[in-house]
Parts: sequence; C-alpha cells; structure tokens
Amino acid sequence: MPVDAISLEVFKNLFAAAAEEMGLALRRASFSPNIRERLDFSCAVFDAEARMIAQAAHIPVHLGSMPASVAAAVAEFEEFFPGDVVVLNDPYHGGTHLPDITMISPIFAGGELSYFVASRAHHADVGGMTPGSAPLSTELYQEGIIIPPLKLKLSGWMNEGALALIVANSRNPQERIGDLEAQLAAHRIGESRIADMMIEHGVETTAEHAAALLTYSRQMTEAVIARIPDGVYQFRDAMEGDGQAEFEIPIQARIEVDGAAMRVDFAGSAPQAPGNVNAVPAIVRSAAWYCVRLLADEDIPVNHGCFQPVEVVTPAGSVLNPRFPAAVVVGNTETSQRIVDTVLGALAQAMPELLPAASQGTMNNVALGGAVGDEQFVYYETIGGGHGASSRGSGLSGRHCHMTNTLNTPVEALEYSLPLRVLRYQLRDGSGGGGRHRGGDGILREYELLVPATVTLNSERRLRAPYGLKGGAPGERGLNTVIRDGRSEAVGGKYSAALAAGDRVLIETPGGGGWGREQARD
Amino acid sequence: MRAGVDIGGTFTDLVLSDSGRLKIHKLLSNPGQPETSMLAGLEAITPGGLAALAQVAHGSTVATNAILERKGARTALITTAGFRDLLFIGRQDRPVLYEIHPRIPPPLIPRERCYQVEERLDFRGEVLMPLELAGLDTVLDQVARAEVDAIAVCLLFSYVNAAHEQAIKQRILERGIVGEDWQVVLSSAVLPEFREYERASTVALEAYVRPVMSRYIGKLEEALPAATSLRIMKSDGGVMRARRIREGAIHTALSGPAAGVMGAFHLARLAGHEKIITLDMGGTSTDVALVAGEPQPRPESSIDGLPLRVRMLDIETIGAGGGSVARVDAGGALRVGPESAGANPGPAVYGLGGEQVTLSDANAILGRLDSERFLGGNMALDLAAGERALEELARAAGLTIIEAAQGVIDIAAVNIDRAIRHVSIARGYDPRDFTLVAFGGAGPLHACAAADRLEIPRVLVPPAPGVLCALGLLLADVAVEYSRSVMRRADEDAIAALKDIRRELLDLARAELEREGIRDDEMRFIVSLDMRYEGQAYELNIPFGDAAAQAFHAEHERSYGHAMRWRNVEIINIRAQGLGSVDKPGLDAVAVEPHAAESFGEKLSPIDGAIKMYERDELKAGAMFEGEALVFQMDSTTYVPSGWRGQVDGYMNLLLERV
Repeated sequence: MPVDAISLEVFKNLFAAAAEEMGLALRRASFSPNIRERLDFSCAVFDAEARMIAQAAHIPVHLGSMPASVAAAVAEFEEFFPGDVVVLNDPYHGGTHLPDITMISPIFAGGELSYFVASRAHHADVGGMTPGSAPLSTELYQEGIIIPPLKLKLSGWMNEGALALIVANSRNPQERIGDLEAQLAAHRIGESRIADMMIEHGVETTAEHAAALLTYSRQMTEAVIARIPDGVYQFRDAMEGDGQAEFEIPIQARIEVDGAAMRVDFAGSAPQAPGNVNAVPAIVRSAAWYCVRLLADEDIPVNHGCFQPVEVVTPAGSVLNPRFPAAVVVGNTETSQRIVDTVLGALAQAMPELLPAASQGTMNNVALGGAVGDEQFVYYETIGGGHGASSRGSGLSGRHCHMTNTLNTPVEALEYSLPLRVLRYQLRDGSGGGGRHRGGDGILREYELLVPATVTLNSERRLRAPYGLKGGAPGERGLNTVIRDGRSEAVGGKYSAALAAGDRVLIETPGGGGWGREQARD
Repeated sequence: MRAGVDIGGTFTDLVLSDSGRLKIHKLLSNPGQPETSMLAGLEAITPGGLAALAQVAHGSTVATNAILERKGARTALITTAGFRDLLFIGRQDRPVLYEIHPRIPPPLIPRERCYQVEERLDFRGEVLMPLELAGLDTVLDQVARAEVDAIAVCLLFSYVNAAHEQAIKQRILERGIVGEDWQVVLSSAVLPEFREYERASTVALEAYVRPVMSRYIGKLEEALPAATSLRIMKSDGGVMRARRIREGAIHTALSGPAAGVMGAFHLARLAGHEKIITLDMGGTSTDVALVAGEPQPRPESSIDGLPLRVRMLDIETIGAGGGSVARVDAGGALRVGPESAGANPGPAVYGLGGEQVTLSDANAILGRLDSERFLGGNMALDLAAGERALEELARAAGLTIIEAAQGVIDIAAVNIDRAIRHVSIARGYDPRDFTLVAFGGAGPLHACAAADRLEIPRVLVPPAPGVLCALGLLLADVAVEYSRSVMRRADEDAIAALKDIRRELLDLARAELEREGIRDDEMRFIVSLDMRYEGQAYELNIPFGDAAAQAFHAEHERSYGHAMRWRNVEIINIRAQGLGSVDKPGLDAVAVEPHAAESFGEKLSPIDGAIKMYERDELKAGAMFEGEALVFQMDSTTYVPSGWRGQVDGYMNLLLERV
C-alpha cells in the first residue's frame, strides 16, 4: 500500500494507539503513588534506527529525552534478540536523572530488528543520600544506583541478579519490584500491538508509513517555525542556587530563525555547577522542542520529525552539558523549567501577542522519608503554581506548568499510606502578578510530620520572580518555611534536614507573571 | 401498557409495549420544555389515553445539558478548613499538555460560594479536631446570604466517618437555610469513597443538578396519571423510581448511551449472542461498549472535564459521527472529526448551505445513502453539493473524488477501530469472540468495515436501530446498589469477617427493590469486592466468595498479563447490587424459513459495481442475501460489503456474517 493522505492518518492512529495502550497497562498495574496517582511516566515506539515514531507522554520533559535512551541501548549492544529488555537510568548514557528508569525492548519481523518499544517511569526511590532520591548532591554517585544500559531480560530470560541489585538499592524494594513488573507488562502489550500491525498491514507497508510519519511531523513543525518572523532573538534568565549555595546561575539562549529552520544556542550559560542543577543535553533538547510544540495550533504527533528542524547547541562543560560525574538530579525538574522561561522569553520578542508571561518556573519538589518500625517510607511530590498571563487572558492558578503535568497525590491517599498530615492545600491569594491580565495564583501547601523524617526541598523562583510581559508585574516569589517548636524559619529554595515529629513544612509556590499594564485592565 | 421514552437533543423516541406488541413513535424534541414532547408522544401512541399506562421508563438529557450549559442550581460548597479550593486546584494538572494559554472547564460553583469549616478527621475517622459550631454558624450566615438552592458538603475522610457532615446538614436544616432535606448533599452519602477531589467534584455535580432534575421530574409526575409509575434511566444501565431523583440526580447525567447498550444487550442475548460489542453511531459522536455476560459498570468517568465517580457502563465515546467534518491538515493527512457540522447547515448533501465534507457526504457520494429513502424519504439529498465539497478535499489530498470519499469512510473506521480496541484488547478481550451490534442512525453503515478491521465475525442490526435507546429503557431492569469502603487485607478471615456487612447491604438492596414494587421471584442480587494488590491504586471487581483472592490473581493476569501471587491483596469496597427484572415485552421468535430475499432494485456504485437494494420492512424472517447490498429503513441504512452475507433471524434482527 503506497503512502497517501488516508493511509498516513490510519498509521498515525495505529502507532499512537500502541503507545497509549502501553501507558494504560503501566498505570493500572503499577504500585507507587508516583506512577499510579501522579502519572509520572511515558511510553513510546521507535524504529530500528532509534528514531521515535510515536509517544504517549504525560510529561513534556520525557518528550525529547527518550530517544537518547534508545540510542544509548543501540550503541551499547551489538546484537539484540527477541525477548530482550534493556534497562538504564545513567544520565550520561541515555538517561536524564537516576529516578527515571527506562526500559527498551526490540521487536523483530522475520528475524530482522524492526522496532523498539520503550517506557520510562519515575521511581520514587533509587537510593542515594536522602529518601526520595532527590538529594542536595555534588556528584552523581550520591544520587542513587547508576544503571548503565544492561539487559534485564535476555531472550526472554530474566536477569534475576540485575533485578535484585536494582531493587536492593531502593528504600522501598517491594514497590520497586512491582513498578518494574508493571513496566515489563506494558512492554508485552506494546510488542504484541506492533507485531499485530506488521502481520495485518505487512512489514514493508508498516515501515514505509513509519518513515512517512516522520516526514509528516517534520513538515508540520517547519510550518510552525515558518510563522515566526526571521531574526535573532536573545534572552537571559537565571537559576538561584545549586543546593550548595545561593548564587546566580545564568541560562542564556540565542535563537536564530531562518525560514523553516531554527537554531537555539545556549552559549553564555553558566559553567557546570558544583551542586545538583546540571541538566544533560537530552533535557535541554526536550525543553527547546517543547517550546516549539507550544506554538503549533494543530495536533502534531510527537516523533523524531518534530526534532529535525530545531538545532540545539549546548556548550560542553556548561550547566546544560555537564561532564561526568556532575550531579544532575534537579536538572530534570528545575533547570528544564528555566530553559523554557528563557526560550519563551526570547520568542516573546518575535511574537509578543502570542507568548505568555513566565509561569511559576519550578516544580517545587518535596521528597521525604523515614521509618515506621522496620518499614521505610518514601514520599515524593511536586506542587503546581501560577501560570503566566497572556494577551488572551489571565493565567491558570494552582496548576503545573510547562515541563511537567503530573497529578497530585490525593490527601486521603497520602495520609492513609504515610505518617504525614496535610494541614492546608489552597490557592495563594494575590500571588499572581498584576497587569491588564493577571498571572495565576500559586499554591499554599502545609505538611505536618507524624514521625521523624528527612525532608529535601528542591525549588526555584524563591529569589527571582517569574517575569511579567508588556508591562505586567512579575508573579510573587515562592517561599519555603519550616516550623519547629512554634518558630518559623524561611529555609530557601533548596533544603535538606532531619526533622522531628510535629515539625511542619510550609510550601508557598510562585504566582505567574502578569501581562500588559494595569491601567488598561479590562 | 408500558412505554420507554428517550428524549434526545433532536428527536424524542417512544416505544410502547401493548399486551406483548411493540409500537414505535418518533417526534421532534422541544429542548426548552422537554416534558412537552414526552406527553405529546405518549398521547399519540397510547390507545385510550395516558390512564392506560402502568409504567413509563424515561431517559433524559436534562441533567447533562444543565452541566454542559452551566445552567444548574445556585450551589454552595462547604469543605474542611484549609481545603476550600479543592475544586479549583483539581489534581493540579492542566487538561491539555501542549497549550500556550491553558484553560480549565469553568467550575460549577464560583470561588466566593466555597466555604470552609474548622474540623478534622484522620484516615481512620478519629476526630483530630471537633466540628467548631460557632465557626460553622458564622459560615452558615454567609451561606444564607448567598441564597443558594443547594449546598454540597465534602469534608476530608468523611467516607470513614460521616458524623461531621451529618452535623453540618442538621444545623443547616435547623436554621432553615434551605427548605428541604434533599437540598443538602453530603459527600459521605453520594460517594463514600476516598480521593477528595473526585468526591468533591461528584458531590458538587449532584448538588448542581438535583434541584433542576427534581423540578423536571415533578412536572412529569404531575402531568402523568397518579397510577402511572415513572422510572428514570441511570448511567449504570438500570432504572430507578422517579422519587429517588432526590438522592441521585447525577446518576442520570451519562444515562443516554447506557440505554442503547441495555437495548442491544437484551436483544442480542435473546437472539443467542452473549458476548457483544455495541456500536452506537449518531450525528456527532459514536459510543462503543463491550458486554461479556452482564454489562459492567466502571467506577470512573467525567463530564465536561469534571470528574464524576458514579457507576456508569464502560462506554468509550469518540467524536466521529455522520456530521463529522473531514479536512486535510498542514502535514497532508486526511482527518475526520471531532468537529461536526451539526444539524444546521449539516452535511453538504443536506443542501442547507454546508460546504465542508462530512462522513454523510462521503457515504452519499459512494451511493450508500439514497435520496429517495433518506429519513423515510423526507429529505432529498443534494448530491451535486456533496460532490463540490469533496472536490476541494480531493484536490488538497491529491486524490480523486471517489478515493477521497472512500478515505473519509476508512478514517472514520480507524477511529472506531481505536475505540473498540480500548474496550476489548486493552481490557484483555479478543474481539474475534464477539458480535458487533450496530445501531444509531449511522452505525449500520459502518459496522461491517469496523468488523473487518478487527476480524469480528458477525454484525447484528436490530429491527429498529434508530430507536434502540427507547427500547433499552423498556427492557432495562431496576438496579440498586449499596457499597461500603472496607479497606482490609484479603487474608483467610476476610470473607468471614465481611459476612455481616454483606448481609446488611443485601437487606438495604432488598428493601429498596421492595419499594420499587419488585416481587421476590423477580429479584437478583450480585455481591462483589473491589480488590487490588496492596500498594496499587486501581481495583478490579471480583465476585464475593471464599476464593475471591484466587479469582483476583486470575483476573489481574487476564487484565494485565501478570499476577503476583506472593503479594498481599486488599479489599477496598464491598458492593451489593440488587436487580429487579421487569417484564420483557413481546419479543417472541417467529419461525425462520430460509429463503432468498427479494431486492427491489440495483444501483451502480462508483467503486463497488452493482449494489442490490432491499427494504428492511419487506424482509421476512429467514430472508438471505449477499453483499454488495444496501438495506433501507426509516431510521437507518445498513451497508453490506462484498464478502458478507445477511440473514433475518427469528427476532427480525439482521444478522450479517463474513462469508
């Protein structure tokens, strides 16, 4: 069957459905609140050359970073066999940060390697310095178990030793093994769906359409870029600290738009930081591609073709392309958000009527853990905030922005399974920046510990407020407060300490930036 | 005499069962006053007037429309202090991942009518902070000033201990802030299950539609003779007596598609098809559901982006119907839906000025709709207008007109294909074991193509595919359900320990069925457990019994491909469902004498060559024919491609099978 407008749409649906069904299976069979409640995972289909064909993503940060995982698996192994499953999390070999464990399975047709399916899930604990595996680290070794690309299954046989080693390095091994099993279950679904497709439509036809889908997404992405006026646009924003000290860590983007091509150069960004905010290039690419995808009004299937028109340059040895073994755990969640703020800030110069003011620009990571009797517990959550306003209206309040879209853990689920209490969870009134259109409000969330626990916070926009646009005011900065024995102490954006039962942690998340001058408010 | 009345946006369908015989009637709806079309229809169809009606079963979109148009009651919400923004924060996510200016659906209750009271329970239901009465009165002063029609109450952990919610209700009634008991809606009564946002959203929806539905049902009851009992369709496929609308109005919000599934289920079972997939295709959307044995409700759904946790049949809805618009996108792919041309201007062939290509246009160009017989011959088709519209599309796609028309139909089939996979393969069922039951105006046109894609061997088209929902209302059993959150390990003692709760729930279900006037020998009860591995968030529904844990492992393996027998299993909820079967009207088989069907003519299709044409009304039991064929009837057209043959069974269903 030759490729035409009809068959293209048919195969777009078929590949997307395969990825979606994998995600459905993973969610329903998983154990950790982080996967089952918060949906911190993605599934995707790749061709034999490790080009992504379809993805079911809940989280944009996975968008452009999964291809690096499949590429790393292909680079590592000369040969694949039916029934193999590769697992990895090493940020310097196809991963992003250690809690994101990626699995990759080859799919064969007539003895020939034809496709891969892959899944990535954020595992709540993979060891490291502090519970929740988001420590204020200074080298990768402190962040948890490093899994280089290795075969967890070989021709269908489980590598029990490797599995035991991974699981033994987690503070909640029971949950780990359940979640890893759920990933494997998702792969079985993906493999059979792709195999069915090839049986039904033929190997050749399926391959031709996989290739055509890449061209399709490339053309649609090019159409988006072509609408941006040609020119050079620059913007500079900064991170506030690396968990070791508070200091300015500039992120700088120079965007060159030429017709249907775009080049994003991050030269001028800070050298790699001693602490945990370094982001590997896969994350930087994800963030830049996310910004382009945001400009499209048509639903573009996310695949390798989307990435082709956008060249991303990250200087070696910088905070956006660190050298092993630099610490990276927060690059994924915090630095990625600042990259978006920077790229969108530059694009706002080209299209001021379209682009929004800055959103909260952080994920407000809360990780904590301790023990009740013999049993360890771990909790990881991110908290929403204000969205930036735009010419179209005020920003959303109390929601995740840009590079994440995970759900919250319901308070009733949290208190049932963990020795914690949530005292308040409400909007932070007035925290959105003023303007003709107001920025969205942040969230106020207060925890009380019922047992001693180690608490780690990784958050940003505690010193530098999310910017407003066209004369709109910046959003309110976030604030982290620890309350012990009735005394409140502001603890800064990045914090880790052993707290006692009865201590409280209050997180106030940033508001979004306003848009337009207040006088002209409608 | 009994009647089923389905009031949709455009048409009101009625089916009357008169001493075993069925009568069908269709008239235009009156969206402003839905009750008028019901009464007019009943008058028209009931010999001897309304007094002869013993029972009316009604499916309504009043609650659905109140929500979609945000025209429900003026409502307040009361929550635990610190959580007044529950409805606004939601689950913290934005509805669309890639959206430069994200929006959320407008909430039903504005923020200024969300109140909070000092009180707190822990997860065991123990009181950490008693309900503060002085503070409650201050809040209620504000509620009183807001002049609301309904008050929703959702406190943390009220599903374990409802005392605080009940105390608030009592105080509201003491102070006369609302006139009636039913205007105060407690989350512990509506949805005693964990997850505070979903519970708050559900109780807010209930409070929002209850006064509206209560008024509407009141009007119907007034208009119907006192002796006529009125029953209302619920989302779970059962009916309830109208009086119960004041306990569960929101149960009607997603009941429309459920009626069709129930109609299909009963007809198919009668004809010997136990495992079915339903394909209900209308003008703007298509509903797909799978029934293997009994129709299964699922616990989670949503309406207009707002979570709604009532049991509804597991139905997948997609934006593909006869009016779905086709276009070529920026990347050069042909797309169909979810945009719809609606009823006006509608498809180009309607000749009402529509210029966009719709699925109906594609069918018309391929000769599958017949100008003389469309809607019983009441609407001439403007084929030239359809051709002009398709010409544009074909040029953009680089195809001929015929190829483009076929493409539009193929893509609709792919969308249907994806929905069927969702309810079958993704849930561990093999579609090849099922019969596809096609209904709605457009279902029988597309059923064989969908069946071909998934190797479904049989398609069943009921005698009146356009009014199957009304028939479903007549056939639906009375269903009541009581559940309790138990949250315990499924150890050896579990089943024995739950025996008392089981008895209690069964007694409640029996008492309610008695109130519905169901005789003992018409009652059936199903007790089940929602179970999961400790640590999972999603439960599987397992029949109650000593081997429940074993059955859970097996079901987990079937659903997800693996079981973990070494893990502890938890029981989250126990549910008792009571079903009261209603008399099924005159659906007796007639003798089947196989014979060749007589076609009334042939037409030339641009791609399929000659298509034989049949009148559905002329086909007797046993009539057989082969594709290419078209079968016309007032409310639908069936397309039978080559490679398929059809036969009318003893119940006058059209059974299509692959040759």
